[in-house]
Amino acid sequence: MKRILLALVASWIALSVMVSAQETAHETVPSAQTALAEKAFESKSIPQLMGDFFGTTGLNAIVNPKHEMHTIGGKQVDIAWYESWGRVIMFVIVFLLFYLAIAKGFEPLLLLPIAFGGLLANIPIANMTGDHGMLGIIYNMGIANEFFPLLIFMGVGAMTDFGPLLSHPKTALLGAAAQFGIFGSLVGAAALSQYTDMFHYTLKQCASISIIGGADGPTSIFIASALSPELLGAIAVAAYSYMALVPVIQPPIMRALTTKEERQIVMTTTRKVHHLEKLIFPLVVVMMIALILPDAAPLMGAFAFGNFAKESGVVDRLSGEMQNSLINIVTIFLGLGVGSKLQADKFLVPETLGIMVIGLVAFGVGTAAGVLMGKLMNAFSKEPINPLIGAAGVSAVPMAARVVSKVGSEEKPGNILLMHAMGPNVAGVIGSAVAAGVLLSIFK
Amino acid sequence: MDINLVAEGLKFMVLGMGVVFVFLALLVQMMKWQAALVARYFSPKSPPAPFYTPADDEQARIAAIIAAVSEFRKAHPKG
Repeated sequence: MKRILLALVASWIALSVMVSAQETAHETVPSAQTALAEKAFESKSIPQLMGDFFGTTGLNAIVNPKHEMHTIGGKQVDIAWYESWGRVIMFVIVFLLFYLAIAKGFEPLLLLPIAFGGLLANIPIANMTGDHGMLGIIYNMGIANEFFPLLIFMGVGAMTDFGPLLSHPKTALLGAAAQFGIFGSLVGAAALSQYTDMFHYTLKQCASISIIGGADGPTSIFIASALSPELLGAIAVAAYSYMALVPVIQPPIMRALTTKEERQIVMTTTRKVHHLEKLIFPLVVVMMIALILPDAAPLMGAFAFGNFAKESGVVDRLSGEMQNSLINIVTIFLGLGVGSKLQADKFLVPETLGIMVIGLVAFGVGTAAGVLMGKLMNAFSKEPINPLIGAAGVSAVPMAARVVSKVGSEEKPGNILLMHAMGPNVAGVIGSAVAAGVLLSIFK
Repeated sequence: MDINLVAEGLKFMVLGMGVVFVFLALLVQMMKWQAALVARYFSPKSPPAPFYTPADDEQARIAAIIAAVSEFRKAHPKG
């Protein structure tokens, strides 16, 4: 059996050498003649047929990559390496993402489709990401025009309950403070490209990387596809991986910045919110967006529509659809479309490494800013505010709020902070959408 | 390089954090107003003051049963 396999491998290699020799011979033939030759079918011998077939295999494409000069990261680069080893490395990365999604439970709903999209995108010859390839069609259908993230936002709106925020309006300021993660890392990214030779981000790229600090997947994808689509794959992977890592990243920062007494603060119970307040709230948000920041209108408009449909109580069929079928379908498309940007020549660049680092820092800075704001508010507020809930100001709904609640009940069993943390958490979604709107308005 | 990226980034930061804070502070104010308005005009109707306590209710029920039974006995005297 082994011998047969060895013989097969040997013959493949022999064929591949033959084919590459043929290809170099072909290159001298003018293209017009080959076009004519394609029309008439010629009888071929068995070895010729097999040789031609080998020329169409992915193995050949990887072993004998074509040499072309492309601009990657602002430099003229021979893409041969990306076509051969690059693909192999991407397959390994994709399998790692599968592992993280399935075995470790890292945001599997998005990482799994993204990784599979990446797998398909790196298949040689098939050109799945081209204008007529499946991934290319999906990408052009809803990501290039920033449509899918909005549909996701609509579904998120239909799932969000603003009750906890409405009962403690002040906690919205914690959601504002946590957006420092975005702008702090924007400055960080700018510093990296200004003072190091390794990274060369433009300001637009800095902005779309820093939005990872908003801890909001759809917003990150929305901004990345608007400002720097070439970085979309890395930004989406970083955003969703770090969102999955919120329970690991946040608690040490939260503990480092607070005293034990502060972590044990018990907050007063939440007020019961009248249903009418919940109904009016999305309209208030839309009107404020309309007057102050129309650039955030797509994101907040979709979000408010979903929420309004839910709170109206008369279109349960529609809001149910937004929360279930629609968001699920769009998640499939969004994942595959983003995965199409995990091509070797787009992903295996130094910029990706920078994005991973800056994204992590952005998460940490956002958490820290939220907690510090919580301490500040506790110092000035009449009612006690547990600074831990500030960490939920980075969006990542509802993961961040759950983490806060867990840390809080570890410090003082029976102290349930979940509802108090949900306030800054949903405010964080609004805050990062506003931050996204500001970034868009700057680069208009 | 003509422009200093860091300086530009810092400017964006001032603008961005400013807008985010102003927006959410306004939102806090709006939420407070709307809560006050709703409480003022649409406060849930307080339940009508009870005429009798549950204990009275129970006694009234027992009285009614006794009355009914005695009426029944009057109407169907047993031999």
